[in-house]
Amino acid sequence: MAEVVLTNLTKRWGPAVGVDNQSLRVEDREFLVLLGPSGCGKTTTMRMIAGLDEPTAGDIHIGGRRVNDDLPKDRDIAMVFQNYGLYPHMTVFDNIAYPLKVRGTPKSEIPKRVGRAAEQVELTGFLDRKPKALSGGQRQRVALARAIVRTPKVFLMDEPLSNLDAKLRVTMRGEIKRLSRELRVTTIYVTHDQVEAMTLADRVAVMKDGVIQQLGTPDEIYDDPANMFVAGFIGSPAMNLISGSVRGGVFLADGGAALVRIGAPDLDRAVLGVRADDLRPVGKGTGDVDAAVHVFENLGESTLLTLRIGEQRVMARGGRHERKKPDEVVGVTFNADHLHLFDPESGARVRFRGGG
Amino acid sequence: MSGIRVRRFLAAVRAALVVIAIFVMLIPIIWIFLAAFKNHVDVYQLKLFFTPTLDNFATVFEPPYLLGPKLLNSTLVALATVAVAIPVATMAAYGFSRFRLIGETAMLVVILATQFVPAVVIILPFFVMFRDIGLLDTRIGLILVNLAIVMPFAIWMIKGFIDGIPLDTEEAAMVDGSSRLGVIRDIVLPMAAPGLLTAGIFCFIIAWNEFLFALILTNKHSVTLPIGLALFKGEEGDLWNLLSAAGIIIMAPMFVLALIIREYFVRGMTMGAVR
Repeated sequence: MAEVVLTNLTKRWGPAVGVDNQSLRVEDREFLVLLGPSGCGKTTTMRMIAGLDEPTAGDIHIGGRRVNDDLPKDRDIAMVFQNYGLYPHMTVFDNIAYPLKVRGTPKSEIPKRVGRAAEQVELTGFLDRKPKALSGGQRQRVALARAIVRTPKVFLMDEPLSNLDAKLRVTMRGEIKRLSRELRVTTIYVTHDQVEAMTLADRVAVMKDGVIQQLGTPDEIYDDPANMFVAGFIGSPAMNLISGSVRGGVFLADGGAALVRIGAPDLDRAVLGVRADDLRPVGKGTGDVDAAVHVFENLGESTLLTLRIGEQRVMARGGRHERKKPDEVVGVTFNADHLHLFDPESGARVRFRGGG
Repeated sequence: MSGIRVRRFLAAVRAALVVIAIFVMLIPIIWIFLAAFKNHVDVYQLKLFFTPTLDNFATVFEPPYLLGPKLLNSTLVALATVAVAIPVATMAAYGFSRFRLIGETAMLVVILATQFVPAVVIILPFFVMFRDIGLLDTRIGLILVNLAIVMPFAIWMIKGFIDGIPLDTEEAAMVDGSSRLGVIRDIVLPMAAPGLLTAGIFCFIIAWNEFLFALILTNKHSVTLPIGLALFKGEEGDLWNLLSAAGIIIMAPMFVLALIIREYFVRGMTMGAVR
């Protein structure tokens, strides 16, 4: 049990920057997700915390102790790897027991603790098998059991679900959530999957190009993105980013169409961010603006309308029973509480009164 | 119908070619195998049917041939070569595989290049050096020479195997609480074991068959089996039957080893080659 504090952490390989002068405080017992596209520095950050990569500059503290110069084995952490990192020549039992053995746990205690860990991940019947004889999901469970067999200060999980098929991923995501609630150990979890981040995290750190773009709860990240990158990265479909301008309290899309009233001062160039869920298709002429349907998709539990606004494409979420044809003109209503403005040059959020 | 007939014909041709190839490869061995059981009269005739005798195998161990000490020399030299080469090569291979070393590529190329130096070129310096430090005609001297021959080969082969071990696995062990040496002991060695076995057997075979250095660097006390073969060229002419019996004794361990490494052979060679 411990908090993890990164101070001005930097990783460079020659001119290439992996992590750029980042500071981050992970509270005791917190589940923090590092989220970002590949190459954003999230895995590098985790590997530096684990001691597998050496920081170019900056400090790492775990539980109040500076661990920069400690070997991985002395940092009292447990890690789950993307490819599981199982020991193929050992049985499942020996795999799970390995951290106990190398740390000198009394021999009499090992079977008991391995048994308990195996029980927690429902592997009890497989202890005699070799990893080769297990399915992907079972291997992932072995890796989890090996991590939870001790009570380390910190759990590190590096894309632990990315090698599983979609269905199994959902199951294991639930398992990890349940385990983390049970164990209450500080956890840092790396993923590029925003659904994992949203569902698992206490807080999410969204990273890009080695820089944390936003640190916040899943709600904050989703509803109150700090910049255009976070807005476009989180959510499926991604937030609509409509470029245009603000004139006299109205947002005008490129090409001149007035979209919606917005309480912002005049801006020559602005980007309006709005989620598909905050755009409602309504009858022609009854919404904030009329637009032609470009693509209509039926997702089963809802429908998705891609609309043409000038040259731009905007997605709106429709009800389950909505049915539209291409080129049909519909009205769209904006949810005024969830409109975001961004500066198109810097990507930074432009705050305005009355806006989200 | 004709398609099937063509296929059958091709299968027959293929089988015939295989038989011919095997025959070409095996004929010297068949000849030596037959000769080893013939008496000194029969051996000059290409008879396939004769009264076999084991006398030759007894004679080669008797004076004046005394193959026994040579067999011992060969065994000790080959085993000692393997016993030193494999641990040292494993450490070198691990270093090359897992750490970024200054001049790594250059070192690897140089190590490989030593394999291409003709033995006759370096045999003279070896002879002079060994004479000066008193290693001529000693087993230690032969072991040193054999190590020089097998080490580059062993390093490259074992490196291939270690490259094939996922880094994740080692990192997992380090996070789990193991030191670097612990990782090598618990993870790398067990996972590379088939590779170490294959490399060890290859080193043994090379050392066992080594002829040129043993010919120049030994003359009495540490003579090995391949040199011993020359003994059977006596005043009475070439003693083919005794020579063949000694040949069988040299070959026998090779056949046993070939059986042992058969299943690792392909894996060992491809891993060593591809990586």
